[in-house]
Amino acid sequence: MEFTGFPYLTAILLSCVTGLLVILFVPDENRSAVKWVSAVFSGLTLALSIAVFLLYDTARGGLQFVERAAWVPSLGIHYLNAVDGFSLPMVLLTGIVFFTGVLTMWELDHRVKEFYAFYFLLVTGVFGLFMSLDLFFIFIWYDVSLFPMYPLIAIWGSTRKEYGAMKLTLYLLAGSALILPAIIFLHVQAGGTTYDITALMQPGTFSAADQKLAFLLLYIGFGILAAVWPFHTWSPVGHVAAPTAVSMVHAGVLMKIGAFGVLRVGMSLCPEGWQFWAPLMATVAVIGIVYGALVALSQTDLKFVVGYSSVSHMGIVGLGLSTLTVDGLNGAVFQMFAHGIMTALFFSAIGYIYERTHTKMIPELGGLSRIMPVASGYFILAALTAVGVPCLASFWGELMVFIAAFRVYPIGGVFAVGGLVLSALFMLRVVQRAFYGPPNDKFVHLTDVSFRLGIPRMILAAVIVLFGLLPSILFDVIDTASVAFIKGLP
Amino acid sequence: MTAWALFVPELSLFGAALLFLALALVRTIRPRVVFLAALAAAALAIVLGLASLSAEGMLFGQSYRIDLFSQVFKVLLTLGLFLVTCICGDVSGVDRRRHAEFYLLLFTCTLAMMLLSSAVHLLSIYVALELSSYSLYVLVSLRRTHELAVAAALKFFIVGIVSSAVMLFGLALLYGGTGAVYLDELARALPPAVDQPLVQVGLLLTLCGFFFKLAVFPFHIWAPDTYQSAAHQVTAYIATASKIGAIAILMRMANVSGGSPYLVQVLVGLAVLSMTVGNLAAIAQKDLKRLFAYSSIAQAGYVLIGILSLTPEGYAASIFYSLALLVMKFLCFLVLVVVAADGADIDVAHLAGLHRRSPLLAMALMMSVFSLAGIPPTIGFTGKFLIFNAAIERGLLPLVLIAMANVVVSLYYYLMVVRAAYLIEPAAELPKLQVSPVMKLLTGALVAVMVLCGIYPTLILDLSSAAAAALVK
Repeated sequence: MEFTGFPYLTAILLSCVTGLLVILFVPDENRSAVKWVSAVFSGLTLALSIAVFLLYDTARGGLQFVERAAWVPSLGIHYLNAVDGFSLPMVLLTGIVFFTGVLTMWELDHRVKEFYAFYFLLVTGVFGLFMSLDLFFIFIWYDVSLFPMYPLIAIWGSTRKEYGAMKLTLYLLAGSALILPAIIFLHVQAGGTTYDITALMQPGTFSAADQKLAFLLLYIGFGILAAVWPFHTWSPVGHVAAPTAVSMVHAGVLMKIGAFGVLRVGMSLCPEGWQFWAPLMATVAVIGIVYGALVALSQTDLKFVVGYSSVSHMGIVGLGLSTLTVDGLNGAVFQMFAHGIMTALFFSAIGYIYERTHTKMIPELGGLSRIMPVASGYFILAALTAVGVPCLASFWGELMVFIAAFRVYPIGGVFAVGGLVLSALFMLRVVQRAFYGPPNDKFVHLTDVSFRLGIPRMILAAVIVLFGLLPSILFDVIDTASVAFIKGLP
Repeated sequence: MTAWALFVPELSLFGAALLFLALALVRTIRPRVVFLAALAAAALAIVLGLASLSAEGMLFGQSYRIDLFSQVFKVLLTLGLFLVTCICGDVSGVDRRRHAEFYLLLFTCTLAMMLLSSAVHLLSIYVALELSSYSLYVLVSLRRTHELAVAAALKFFIVGIVSSAVMLFGLALLYGGTGAVYLDELARALPPAVDQPLVQVGLLLTLCGFFFKLAVFPFHIWAPDTYQSAAHQVTAYIATASKIGAIAILMRMANVSGGSPYLVQVLVGLAVLSMTVGNLAAIAQKDLKRLFAYSSIAQAGYVLIGILSLTPEGYAASIFYSLALLVMKFLCFLVLVVVAADGADIDVAHLAGLHRRSPLLAMALMMSVFSLAGIPPTIGFTGKFLIFNAAIERGLLPLVLIAMANVVVSLYYYLMVVRAAYLIEPAAELPKLQVSPVMKLLTGALVAVMVLCGIYPTLILDLSSAAAAALVK
C-alpha cells in the first residue's frame, strides 16, 4: 500500500459516494434537503478538485497524488489512483460541471431524490475513470458512468426520451463490448500478472501486431463514447432527450471519457498501434468535423444544433490526438476541457430557456435577447466560444490542433478549418434567429434569469473567459504530460 | 464411524426429507408450521455444509469424493435451498394440502444435487441426476389450476427422459471405449483414447445429460414452458440451485475429458448458440418468467465459456459465476414472488409503477438485471470478467468478442425490465406492496453481497480458486 500525503483523489470519490448515500437516506418528501445535500457534497468535490489542480507540482510533472493498494492480488488488480497532466484538467472539468449541474437543476420537482442519486452515481464513475490507472477499475468506472444514463434520460428527459436513452445505452455498451476484450487481451499478452497501466506501458511489453489489434478495438470502443464519426448518432439524440444537468455532464464530461480513454488506455499502452492507425483517426476526425458542422447547419432544435456541433468539436479533439505531436496533444486536451465547459454552458442556458418557453425550436423562439437578455447572453457567449473567438477558451485548443494538423496532414487541416467556418455560420445563424429579430408575443411576459439561478452559468462563463485569457494555466499542466509522452514514443 | 461424519450435510437433508414425508401423511398440519420447519432444516443444512467445508475423503468404495470442490458446491446448493425456502412463506401456486410434499421434493432434489457434486462413479452420477430430475418433474406439475402445468411437466419429462437415455448410451460407449467407471480411472484412460471416435461420441453423449440440466442449446426447449408454468418458487429453484448442481458435474466431467480439442470445439459451438438463441428469443418475451427462462439459456452459454477453457482459472471463474447466478437470479424471483403474491403469472408490463410501490424491490430488481447483463459494479460483471479472462488466456479472443456482442443484445431486454419498473406508470393506481421487514433485510443483504463481491471479489475468488485446484488435483 502506498499513499503520498492526504489522499485527495480517494477523498473526491468518497465525497461523491457519501453524498449518494446521504441522499438515499433523506426522506422522499424533503426535496430541498436533497438539493442542499447535493449542493454541499458536489461543492466539496469541486473544492477538492480545485485543490488537486492547484497543488499539482508542474515543475516535477509525471504522476502525482499516487494512491496504490493491492485489490485482487491473484489477478494483479490494484486500486491505483493518480493524476498527471492529461487527467488533471479532466478532474477539474468534472468538478466544475458536476457542481454547476446540481445548481442548474435547482428547480426540479419530479422524483428529485432518485434524480440526484443517479446523478451522483454517474459522476462517481466519471471521476473514477479520470483518476484510475488500473485497467480493471477503468472498465468498472466506465460502465458505472454509463448505466445511470438510461434512467436519467428515460425518466427526466424530453423529446423521444425512451428512444434516446435506449439508443445511447446500447451504443455505449457496444463500445464497452470492444473495450473489455481488448483490456483482457493486453493483460494476457503481458503475462497475465497485472492490470496496472504504469507497469503495462513499459516499452517492449507488447508486440507490434498485438498493439495494432488492441488499439483498433480500444479506439472504436472508446471512440463511440467520444462520438467519433460514424459512431456518433447516439450522441445528438441523447443530448436532445436528456434533462439539462445530464446533457451538461453528458456532453461536457462523458464524451471526454471517450477521448480520454483513447489517450490513457489506447495510446499509452499501444503507441505503435496508435502510430499505425493515426491516418485513419485523422481521416474520420476530419469527416466528423465537416459532417457535424453540415448537419448542424440544417437543425431547427437548439439542442440538436449543440449536439451536432459537439460531434464537430470532438472531431477536433480526435484530429489533435492523431497528429502524434506535442502541440496536437496539448490542443486536444485543452479542447476537451474547453468544449466541456462550453457545452455545459450551452445546455445550462438552453435548460433555462426551455423551462420557461417549453420549446427548443429555433423558429418559435425569436428575439429572446429582448425578453431575457441575461439568459440569452449566456447562450451567445457559449456560441462565440464554439465559433472559436479569441480570448475565449476554445480558441486556444482549436488553434493548437490546427497548427499541428497543418504540419502533419495539410489536406485534412484545410478541411477542418473549413468545418470551423461552417460552424461559425450555423452558430451565428442560430443566434440571429433565436435571439434577435422580432420577439415572439407568447414569451414577452417571461422573466429573465435571476441572480441566484444564474450562479451556475456565471461560474461556467467565468471559467471560459479565465482560460481564454490565461490559457497557460492549463497548457503548463498538460505540457508536463505531453512532452514526456511524445519523447517516450518508440 | 468417522467416514459417516463426512456425509452429515447430506444426511441432514435426507432426515429433513423423511420429516416432510411424515408431515405429508398428517393432513391437518398448518402450512406455516411446515414452512418454519423447512426454513430451520435449510438453515441447519447451510451450517453443516459450512462446518464440513474443509472435509476430505472418499466414501462408498471410492465412488463418492468429498473435497473442497464438492463442499463449496454443497454450500452453494444449501444456500440456494435456504433462499428459495425464504420466499416460500406463501406458496400460493401450490395447493395448501400439498405443501409438505412440496418441501419433500425440494429437499430430495437438493440432496440429489449434493450427491451429484460428489459422485465420481459413472453410475452414481447417473442415479443422482435422475433423482434430481424426477423430483423436479413432480414439483413442476404441482402448480395449482394452471392449464399448462401438466403439459409443461410432461414436456420437461419427455425431454429429460430422452436426454438421460442419450446419456446412458454415452456412458455405455465410454465404458466400452476405456473400460473405466470411476472418474479417476477415466481421467487416466481418456487422454490416450480421446482420438477414438467411439470415446469422443461417448463423452459428448454423456455430457448431453448435463446440458439438459443446464438448459444448454439444443437441450433448452423444456425451459420456457417449464419456467412459465411451474409455481414461482419452483421456477426460482430450477433457475438457481438446480443449475448449480449441473455446473458442478459438468465441470467434473470436463476436467477428466483430457482436453480433447474436438470437445472444446463442440463446447464453443454450444456456448455461442446458447447465448445467441437465448438472448435473441428473450427479446420477444412478454411473460416475465419466460424471459428469465431464455436469459437462463444465455447464461448457461457464459458458464460454458468458463468450463471449456479447461484450466483451473476457468473452473474458478465458473464457480464464482455460480454464486453470482444464484444471488442475482434469486433476487429477480424474490421480486417476482412479492409482486405476484397471488401466484399468477405476470408480464413484464405488470411491473409498472414498482418504483413507487416498493422502491427497495425496484432497486433490487434493477441491480440484479444489470448484474445478469454483466454491468459493473456487480457480481455478475466480475464473474463474466473472470470467465473472459480465462477464455482469452486460452486464446479464445473471438469467442469473447461474440460473448460481449451477446451482452449488448441482452442489455436490451434487461433494460425493458428496468423500464417497466421505473418508467411505466400503471393504468390504475396500485397499492404499495407489503414487504415484511425480514424480506427487506434479505433483499438489502443480497444487494449488498452483489455489489461488494462485485467490487471486492478477492475472498470468494480465493475460495473458488482453491476449489478449482481441488478439482484438477
